[in-house]
Amino acid sequence: MRKHFGWRVRIPVAMLVVAVGLTIAATGFSKTSGAHAVKAAGLACGLGTGQKATGTPIKIGAIAVKQAGTDFTDIPNMANAYFQCVNDNGGIYGHPIVQDLLTDQTDPGALAADAKQLIETDHVVGIAGSSDIIDCAVNSAYYKKMHFNVLEAGIAEQCYSSPAEAPVNMGPRYSADGATQTAIALHAKKIAFDQSNVPGTQYNLGGSKLIAKAAHVPIQFLTEDAANINGETAAEKEVQAAGPGGAVVLVFTPPVALAILQGAQHLGLENKVIWTCATPCNTDFLATALGSAWNHKLYVNAEMNLISQDNGPNSVLYQKVLKLYGSNVAGGIGSFSQFGFLLGQLAVKGLLSIKSKVYTPQTVNAAFKALKNFKTDFLCKPWYFGPLPNNTDFTVYPQDGKMVLVPKSGCLPISTVDPLVKQVRAYEKAHHV
Amino acid sequence: MADSNVATRSRSSLRAAARLSRRDAINLLVVAGGVLFVLLALPSLLTPYWVVTSTSAVTFMIVALGLGLLVGRVGMISLGQGAVLALGAWVGARLLFATALPYPIVLVMTGLITMVLGTMIGLPALRVSGLYLALVTLMLAGAITVVLVDTNFPNGGSGFLGYADQSTGTPPSIRRPSIAESDPAFFRYVVIVALLMFLLALWHIRGKPGRAWAAIRQSEPAALAAGVNVTVYKMWAFALASFVTGIAGALLGSASHVLYAYTFPTSQSIVLFAVVLMGGVYTLFGAVIAGVLLQVIPGAFTVWGIPSEWATILFGVGVLQVLTTAPAGIAHQLPSDLARLGRFLFGVARRRIPAGGRAP
Amino acid sequence: MPSWSNFQPFIPIGLAAGGVYALSGVGMVVLYRATGVLNLAFGAIGAMGALIAWTMINTWHVPAGIAYVACILFGGVATLLYGMVFGRLLAARDPLVKAAATLGLALLMLGVMNRLWPAQVTRSITLPTDNTAFTFGDASVDWTQVIAVGFGVVMTVGTAIFLRVTKIGTAMRALADDREITATLGVPVRRVEAAAWFGSGLLAGAAGLLLADLVTLASDGLTFIVIFTLSAALIARLRSLTVTFVAAMVIGLVDNLITPINSITNFRDMTPFVLAIAALLFFSRERQYSFARGGIR
Repeated sequence: MRKHFGWRVRIPVAMLVVAVGLTIAATGFSKTSGAHAVKAAGLACGLGTGQKATGTPIKIGAIAVKQAGTDFTDIPNMANAYFQCVNDNGGIYGHPIVQDLLTDQTDPGALAADAKQLIETDHVVGIAGSSDIIDCAVNSAYYKKMHFNVLEAGIAEQCYSSPAEAPVNMGPRYSADGATQTAIALHAKKIAFDQSNVPGTQYNLGGSKLIAKAAHVPIQFLTEDAANINGETAAEKEVQAAGPGGAVVLVFTPPVALAILQGAQHLGLENKVIWTCATPCNTDFLATALGSAWNHKLYVNAEMNLISQDNGPNSVLYQKVLKLYGSNVAGGIGSFSQFGFLLGQLAVKGLLSIKSKVYTPQTVNAAFKALKNFKTDFLCKPWYFGPLPNNTDFTVYPQDGKMVLVPKSGCLPISTVDPLVKQVRAYEKAHHV
Repeated sequence: MADSNVATRSRSSLRAAARLSRRDAINLLVVAGGVLFVLLALPSLLTPYWVVTSTSAVTFMIVALGLGLLVGRVGMISLGQGAVLALGAWVGARLLFATALPYPIVLVMTGLITMVLGTMIGLPALRVSGLYLALVTLMLAGAITVVLVDTNFPNGGSGFLGYADQSTGTPPSIRRPSIAESDPAFFRYVVIVALLMFLLALWHIRGKPGRAWAAIRQSEPAALAAGVNVTVYKMWAFALASFVTGIAGALLGSASHVLYAYTFPTSQSIVLFAVVLMGGVYTLFGAVIAGVLLQVIPGAFTVWGIPSEWATILFGVGVLQVLTTAPAGIAHQLPSDLARLGRFLFGVARRRIPAGGRAP
Repeated sequence: MPSWSNFQPFIPIGLAAGGVYALSGVGMVVLYRATGVLNLAFGAIGAMGALIAWTMINTWHVPAGIAYVACILFGGVATLLYGMVFGRLLAARDPLVKAAATLGLALLMLGVMNRLWPAQVTRSITLPTDNTAFTFGDASVDWTQVIAVGFGVVMTVGTAIFLRVTKIGTAMRALADDREITATLGVPVRRVEAAAWFGSGLLAGAAGLLLADLVTLASDGLTFIVIFTLSAALIARLRSLTVTFVAAMVIGLVDNLITPINSITNFRDMTPFVLAIAALLFFSRERQYSFARGGIR
């Protein structure tokens, strides 16, 4: 009996050891990504001095969603990769930036606690690089109360309406607007708009509804259970709703969009309707996975430029930083890490602009709010701290395994039929932004 | 001869009784001391993040209590408690928005309504037991989850569903008791509610239902033969579990101020069951451990920067460990492990200090 | 109310989806019949096999055929390892305990998978059979779907024959019924069990590969697909392979045929659950069912 018991105890322990060993061997200690030798010679990160920053650290907080099926940690991780590069290049006048990242599982109570932890316990001086499904909804009032101006990649409506939040992206609503506009420009007779059934569906479709109405194109709204998606069922449903000569607007994360498009392909539906998609479809991976049958058939509204075809200074630097410091950015080149890189750059620009060189929540958040006229080849127009600075973007489609700019598409301004866009354009015109 | 035997026996049995009540008294003191510490001292020692996490932990202790009752006392596995929790959260939120009733009354109403719903839903499941029951409850949970994704959670809107797709501005907040608005105060409130739920469970266990449940767990046919109304007592267990879980759901709504459907995925029912097994289903203390495991460990991992997958791995290994070596869970295993550790250390100490100067 | 042309394309889609459910459902019932264990980690094992195949194809540039074989073998070996260690440790316990233990395995594998294959990367597996087999009205059916359904049929019929006709099969049925007595009768219990575990594991690997192509290559999706397939197994009361197969096909069909009906389309996903519960209510009209190793008594 005792011999049995000894054996019984050892087996689970052995299993645990095997699991641990496997995982560590495969993934390594991802936290120490930036600890290698300074390879920053020639990298224009921050001050670009090539000297390692060793002063008192500046703590920048971030919150990102990480749960089954939804993981946006690539965004703050890429921002942190840029911070590491900056730290190897003089930091912020000698001060290294340290990221305080908390992950969330769409638990509103924990999210509120996360925000309090960052601001009241960890005493971060600014929050940049956040990306969470409900952070803006749950915490924007708290951020405003604490006079924090958050730089984020948004999703929920509050990310675009709260004065305490500034997004680098358009989010599902405005990106879907762009896809809808493209569908209408391609003379769709009817539009089927499909998205995941997580809360916020009405907000996401709000703009497209107005745009389609203004263009006198009928539009039907569908939802899918993204967690249990059956690509073929969804594709067939969408095509039936769009009808002959119609268009489908997809608003899904890449794996779900891929499942639907592959389902459409299985059923031979790629030629039946016009297929458009919001930003998440803008990845070369999707182009490769779909193959040449989809050449020029999927119009994607792209909030950021195509890295693979752009040699602008930001795109080049982004790839270098990703390679040297971005070992924990699992998604590699793509919109998410682009958002993260831009957020990192903005935070650093803000910090560097503080003349007093005193870094407190007051000075840092004032600096973030004052950010403007930030030019980058990622975006069509310069970025500024505001509700929707990224409101004009690109249109791409797959070609032989890569995403390419649709010829003669240029920069697509999102329609002012959508009220916030109208408001923002008026502001930009008045302030010559 | 016989007389002195009887006298010796009665003396020793008296002594035994006295020893037993002393152990009980010590247990009671320890528990009371622990509760007082948690109520009075703990909130001020914790950071705001940990106050919120601890509130969730205590709330889930109530859920674990219900599930532990079903599994440990009656031998019924329900893989659908996550859905009952979501139902309770829905009912609680609806009542809190629709009425201005005092909070304790809303809690009790939520508990009662969830109890009725849970029992109604559990009725078909009462005809089966064992693995079949577990699977059926999982199916019921799946169905409820799909409905909730469609109806969403009340957020101050009108109509029966109380849901208005208002995505602009700050979402309306599910209220808390007027005497416990702040996080530390609400934590204390939740601890007191949890205490009451544990006392309720204890009262059942020590009374007639507890004896009936033990008989049913031992052998259903035997219990039936002994005249126990098996169906009624099984229903009662379901009802009690649904009652406490419903109250926990209402507390969850007030804790987060806003509820979303994806906070209650079907997989949560499975993890809940796994963790309750690990904590231990045969004692009330097991529910305490389960609540801690469920919330404190992932919470700690988040602030320490440990990837959350490790929590899932831990729970998986934990279930395997518990089922193969320690079926009574950590609640039983920990004291006996500590005792073994104590004896081992004592033995090492004895060998280090050789008795009579001789080497071992 | 939608017209026939709206419903028609969903029939082959529904049958293919049903084939998908049938794969997992039959695989789980097969193992159950042979070892008394309801392997709730069936999906997780298949998922991990598929992810390993993905890594072999995309990162190590191994020929696809070898990767597919590796996936199927992994399913067999992993399940066998589990069976030899934990299956044996828990052999004398209640079916409920045995099933709960596989839940532990599923959670463990899920955590490991998410660690080794982070969710931010979109992955997919495209089998060479993804081209069109034939068209049915408006919709075209591809070979992978045909294989899925065919596989389900072959597994059902083949396993039923195997269990009834061969010596090992009979030994497996005896084992599931009563392990102790079977052992005393001189049946090489360990070998038979090992065969059952290994065989069921191969099925899990194959199902994982097909599901990764037909549905998604995501660890969480593939792991929790068991919840849907359980409904088919439940309708068959974990006994009859044929009923499991038929139930799975019906679930897939009904689920998809509901899709064009706008008023209830959002509740499509309830189909497996509702059907399982309805079946339960129907079957337990008079009697109480309890679960022993041989099935429902």
